[in-house]
Amino acid sequence: MRLLAVELDRFFSRRAIVLMLLGGLLLTALLVGTALWDTRPVTDAERAEAESQVATAAADPRLQREQQQCEQRPQDFFGPGASAEDCAGLAPRVEDFFPRNTLELARVVDNRGTVQIVMVTALLVLCGATFAGGDWHTGSLANQLLFRPRRGRVWVAKAGAVLVASTAAATVLVGGFWLALLVAAGARGIEVPSAAQSDIWWTSARGVALAVGAAVGGYALTMLLRNTVATLAVLFAYVVVGEALLLTLPIDQVSRFSLAQNVLAWVGDGRRVFDADVTCLPGLGGCEKAYVLGMGHAATYLGVLLVLTTLLSWAWFRRRDIG
Amino acid sequence: MGAPVIETSGLRKVYRSRRGRRVVAVDGLDLVVPAGGVHGFLGPNGAGKTTTIRMLLGLARPTSGEVRLLGRPVPAGLPEVMGRVGAVVEEPRFVPAFSGRKNLTLLARTVGAGRDRVDAALAQVGLDGRDREHFAGYSLGMRQRLAIAATLLKSPDLLILDEPTNGLDPAGIRDIREMVRELGESGVTVLLSSHILAEVQQVCHSVSIIGEGRLIASGSVAELVGDSTLAVARVWVEDSSTAIRHLERARYRVVRNGDHLDVEGFEHPEDITRVLAAEGLYVRELVPVRADLESVFLQLTRGSALGGRSVAPWTLSGGEAEQ
Repeated sequence: MRLLAVELDRFFSRRAIVLMLLGGLLLTALLVGTALWDTRPVTDAERAEAESQVATAAADPRLQREQQQCEQRPQDFFGPGASAEDCAGLAPRVEDFFPRNTLELARVVDNRGTVQIVMVTALLVLCGATFAGGDWHTGSLANQLLFRPRRGRVWVAKAGAVLVASTAAATVLVGGFWLALLVAAGARGIEVPSAAQSDIWWTSARGVALAVGAAVGGYALTMLLRNTVATLAVLFAYVVVGEALLLTLPIDQVSRFSLAQNVLAWVGDGRRVFDADVTCLPGLGGCEKAYVLGMGHAATYLGVLLVLTTLLSWAWFRRRDIG
Repeated sequence: MGAPVIETSGLRKVYRSRRGRRVVAVDGLDLVVPAGGVHGFLGPNGAGKTTTIRMLLGLARPTSGEVRLLGRPVPAGLPEVMGRVGAVVEEPRFVPAFSGRKNLTLLARTVGAGRDRVDAALAQVGLDGRDREHFAGYSLGMRQRLAIAATLLKSPDLLILDEPTNGLDPAGIRDIREMVRELGESGVTVLLSSHILAEVQQVCHSVSIIGEGRLIASGSVAELVGDSTLAVARVWVEDSSTAIRHLERARYRVVRNGDHLDVEGFEHPEDITRVLAAEGLYVRELVPVRADLESVFLQLTRGSALGGRSVAPWTLSGGEAEQ
């Protein structure tokens, strides 16, 4: 525990890490700000304009004819069992003519929520890599080992510090993002359905887990490569070059091996992926060019990557010469 | 004299250079450093001093051979004894963005040492007034002092200093030398690796000389410099050319050095006067020059320095440090 406390102190004493975390806070605030601005309540003038457009639309003879047809044969419009009351939905509503949407948190989960999680993940990879890279770069790691020669424990203590610090940081950033939006929704009198609340909670939990895993992975990879820049280069090569190479492989459902797709599948509880390589022969029914990359698959893929990297890094660190 | 604090047996380190070339850094080194006093560890650049020290401290793994530190095998027994060993390897390495105090505090906390120990160490090396400045802003002398302060955090029984006066100004060199001398007198065993021979001669009780990764000589400084075979006589004589001819015929080594001759290879100075007088040449002045550590060192390591000529291992009898 003593070593963990020292490493946590070292983690939060690194200026670059503190600056990155502050940057994360700023970007999160920016995302919240743009989400709130893009869904800000309509002004009286905008409402009046929308009401005028509703009136114009309602007076449209074509719409009126359609309304009458619906009331006569509602099942043609809404399927078997539909009633004439359902046709009220065809009537123009004032909300449809507002210049922007209202704040709908279920929709934020899929766009800005995912962007924020990916941003926090990238940031914490950098923090983990910087934490380890700094020790190698300055040579202070050798000094530390002169005080604590059990290398395995030193590695674990540092990884523990990254785990604890990144869990705290990710929880603050992801939690802060949603808390701000929930407070704003409450202030605007917008009710958040329980399904949306549950979706927000689980997506946030998966986002925090992803960011923490990425931070530990970034740390482990840098302890292996001894250099922050080398870690970033490997990640860049894996994500950009590797994925480009993947696309050239004549394998069905090749996106199963894509880091980016698996990250998105994990955050989004599965992801529908289009596969252009699937050849649909004429006359064969049920051929589908898109498939679902499940969350379970993504968890396995990301978990195996993390476990392999950490084990290799830990084992190698215990044996290697320290410069 | 106590039991050896450092013992190596057949220690060998082979590594691959970046070009894939096999480099033998240490080649079957048998080193014994007795407890107490200051022991010099001498060798030309590339002799394997730093590699040996790194293996002693568990920072590098030997290719073969054994190392014992304070009686415990390295690296398995290091955790048991590392609390009693302080070391500075190569240049001092700390986190540049942290203050001197912060760097020391982090190290002290890993071994459970408190603020009072940090204060005492900083005061002992005269850094107590500058401890809150960033390490990056420290002069080389201050960095060396901080590194020595770090070694004092543990109240060591054994101190290993690798070129501690490198790059220091004369005042800094004198301060470090005094500090080392005081530590040696206080009962701490100091292994001082250096290529500054005057420094070693002034502070060390015993010395080991290595070349090409092998032990060349080991013993007390007095014994090493007191060997008569290494003595030189400065001879002033009227007809120096004729004198050289007769002295060389008598199998002495003679080098013209300005207005005098340096003669080596005699047993007693009167032998020189006898040879010259027999030829009618009368010595105007003869000054026997006792060998210093530098001449011993240069003679012993000449093979290494010239690249390839082997030097026979030469261990003085009774080669223990003077106390």
